[in-house]
Amino acid sequence: MKPLLLLLALTASIEARKFFDDDPLVAEPKSKSIDKAASRKLSDYYDTFSHLLATPGDLKALPAQGVNTLGEPMEGAWWVRRHYYERMSIGDLQRGPSRGLPPSKNGPWTVIGAKNEGITPGFVILDANKRRYFVKFDPLSNPEMATGADQISLKLFHALGYHVPDNYLASFTADMLVLGQDVEIADKVGKKRKMTSRDVSEILLKVPKSKDGRYRATASLAIPGKGIGPYRYFGQRTDDPNDIVPHEHRRDLRGLHVFCAWTAHDDSRSINTYDTLTEEGGAKFVKHYLLDLGSTLGSASSKANSPRSGGEYLFGWKLALKNLVTLGLDVPDWARAKYSTLPAVGLFEGDRFDPASWVPEYPNPAFSNRLPDDDFWAAKQVMAFTDEEIRAIVATAEYSDPKVSEFLAGAMAKRRDKIGKTYFAKVLPLDNFAVRGGALVFDDLGARHKMGPEGGYRVKWHRFDNETERTEPVNASGFTPPAVEGYWMGEISHPQRAKQTIRVYGRGARIAGVERTW
Amino acid sequence: MHLLQKLGGFLLAAAIGYAQNSRAEQIENARQARAASLTPEVNKGAEEFLRSFKDRKYAERFAAGYNGLRVKLGGLVTGGGFAVGPEYLREDLFHGNLRVRSAAQISFSGYQRLDGEINLPNLVGEHAFIDVYAVHHNYPGIQYYGPGPDSAKTGRSVYRLEDSALDGTGGWKYKDKLKIGASIGGLWMNVGPGSHNDFISADKIYTERQAPGITSQTNFFRFGTFAQLDYRDNPLGPKSGGNYVIQYSRFEDIGKLQHDFNRIEVELQQHIAMFNKTRRIALRGKTVLTDTRAGQEVPFYLRPVLGGSDDLRGFRPFRFNDRNSVVYNAEYRWEIFAGLDGAVFADAGKVFPRRGLLNFRDLESSGGFGLRFNARNQTFMRIDASFSHEGFQLFFKFNDLFSQRPFGTSSSQPIF
Repeated sequence: MKPLLLLLALTASIEARKFFDDDPLVAEPKSKSIDKAASRKLSDYYDTFSHLLATPGDLKALPAQGVNTLGEPMEGAWWVRRHYYERMSIGDLQRGPSRGLPPSKNGPWTVIGAKNEGITPGFVILDANKRRYFVKFDPLSNPEMATGADQISLKLFHALGYHVPDNYLASFTADMLVLGQDVEIADKVGKKRKMTSRDVSEILLKVPKSKDGRYRATASLAIPGKGIGPYRYFGQRTDDPNDIVPHEHRRDLRGLHVFCAWTAHDDSRSINTYDTLTEEGGAKFVKHYLLDLGSTLGSASSKANSPRSGGEYLFGWKLALKNLVTLGLDVPDWARAKYSTLPAVGLFEGDRFDPASWVPEYPNPAFSNRLPDDDFWAAKQVMAFTDEEIRAIVATAEYSDPKVSEFLAGAMAKRRDKIGKTYFAKVLPLDNFAVRGGALVFDDLGARHKMGPEGGYRVKWHRFDNETERTEPVNASGFTPPAVEGYWMGEISHPQRAKQTIRVYGRGARIAGVERTW
Repeated sequence: MHLLQKLGGFLLAAAIGYAQNSRAEQIENARQARAASLTPEVNKGAEEFLRSFKDRKYAERFAAGYNGLRVKLGGLVTGGGFAVGPEYLREDLFHGNLRVRSAAQISFSGYQRLDGEINLPNLVGEHAFIDVYAVHHNYPGIQYYGPGPDSAKTGRSVYRLEDSALDGTGGWKYKDKLKIGASIGGLWMNVGPGSHNDFISADKIYTERQAPGITSQTNFFRFGTFAQLDYRDNPLGPKSGGNYVIQYSRFEDIGKLQHDFNRIEVELQQHIAMFNKTRRIALRGKTVLTDTRAGQEVPFYLRPVLGGSDDLRGFRPFRFNDRNSVVYNAEYRWEIFAGLDGAVFADAGKVFPRRGLLNFRDLESSGGFGLRFNARNQTFMRIDASFSHEGFQLFFKFNDLFSQRPFGTSSSQPIF
């Protein structure tokens, strides 16, 4: 025990230091290489019930982790900086995660697997270039709905910085499909038998067919690396040395709530995520993906989404009791929403949408832990999409009816603006601090989007001791940082928002860190 | 082992942290510490059980049985007790174009049912269908309170219903909205003394006049026709739309030649959705009318009945029996949570001897509340608590109140 006690004593004497010279880090240090990680599936039943009836994870209102000293997530296995940070062109937004590898039309598509049971039939195919794709369809009741939602949300989540699969909108005729040799298909009890061309025909009977005899589908290119199962929205993978932050405290997962609310992604649960053991830049590491974005924008993939979606969890004790005793006479706001009758839209709208009260199907620990600065981090990215950019992304869904594109782009813009108004009100909406020409400058997102105070910000300057974290007021004029040795700190406030401040830390002309209060 | 490993990792990280000079190094040290305590990522306990349960499709396997052979639970007549028995079901024959089912069940109260059916649901480009259904019941204690709307609650008795039937039904359908068809079949009846510890046998207290057919057995040739207009959004769990059915059946007594009769059944359902279908009102009006030529009488066991879980819920099953019936149900349902609806309801109805009495006068009424347990957009179980001037009734049923029985002459039997 003595060596352990000695180590404890040593750690107690470690000097505190708020900022290091390499702060703020834009990207995580190169991942620690690992040889193997266990592939395991999660139980969606267990996931559902454990989150509805218990509270897994560390549900505490702690400041977000996995961020640099500016409060920004670092680029890495979970997230990368994209549209808000380095403006993407319309072309880049429309390309999204595409590697330019749609299924080849220069030859037949060989069916090497299929799912005929259940409510979402599909194929696994090899194209003429021997690339493997998962092919998924729209439901008969809602042609273009799930495939369109997938295309749009894929590009949005990509532009928002997440790792997503490479999905293509495919159109094909039945004669392009060729059944591979010795392909097996499972029946509803999992019993396998040899697949026949009739099975292919039966699957195609369950999906919409256009008047010219074509089928519309999402062709998802297999994600590089070895799949090792979904991630959870709490805890850490026990076999991943790079997974050092509990997921419920990651800003990129807390802020995901805002993005999911924007896109009505109520199916944002573990089962729709995917980890791979992949090799990039000479290191083998676990990379984290979002999957199955066809259940967004009013789609539930196999049907239009429930009107309850986003309004309430599937179950909650208090809500159930209230609904029981009030005989349902207390009608929630979400139940009064008016929806489009366009089948390709599903149940999606922007007029009744409330970003703060939006919830997924069941509690998500990362979403539950989010704080106003998590929401602001996400909201500023949502607000970065212009109407033109939204329309351009919606256009990639190639809806046959222009009214669908028009409706979706309009509803998304409404939802975007509600997100901005809601979350820009919770913290001072200033960002991108820098010292230029000797003055502290920043982007006033509230003024830019007309969703906050227009000007009128004040600043108080302090000398900041990086070792003791003590501050000492100093005199300086306006937004010009004081000429102090070491670090300075400017505390920005606004008379209309008494509790909201931003502390900006710097050294000379370099910004070291940003902290927000509310 | 894990605790020591984790503690060691923490101390290692802390000790290394002493020498940290950069944020990158701090992160690297945290990774280093974590690397010292890695364990394989595995599911445990209930999570692994549930994953395995779903992946191995145990529920589907139980439902599907072995090569079509499975266990059938419940589904006998109200009051018959919990029934169990083997069932053979094949829905995969000729790629789903031929369905075959057969079951044998017995309840803990000794009620028995053997039945079998063959369905061809997709003939003529899915526009036509043919069903053949055969059934044998042996129910030892069906309740009978005597005829007419004024029968006494204290007049409860029981009789044995033992019958066999074979019916064929064919029809034409248009987009599953409109169905018309006809059916033909035979019914071989045997009614006998009831068997129950607490209630007297019907033949001991009711005469042939009060219970036509109780003293003699006969057989029937029957045929009929039907039409349905159904525009409910989801027939298995409707939230909006309507369902209108009319059926006519002719029963020819080929044994005693005393019980020829005609039977007309009209059922109108309307489902009114509010607030994005999270609240809704379901309305149903249903009447069964019979008529005979002079000298003929409708046997008591084929007369319409009211009372029980499917019509007048504040009364005991089979409480009222006469040549005609009418019942109205209104039910307000609302979402309590995703898998459960609440319901408050009111029922009114009566039985009556002459068709001229089909009106809104002298209706028996009941009201109550219930719960509807839903899965995959349909009610799989309901609990109804209902009150009337005859007391309180509580029902657990594995069906929807507004579920549609099959069409054809076989469906016109009041007891199935």
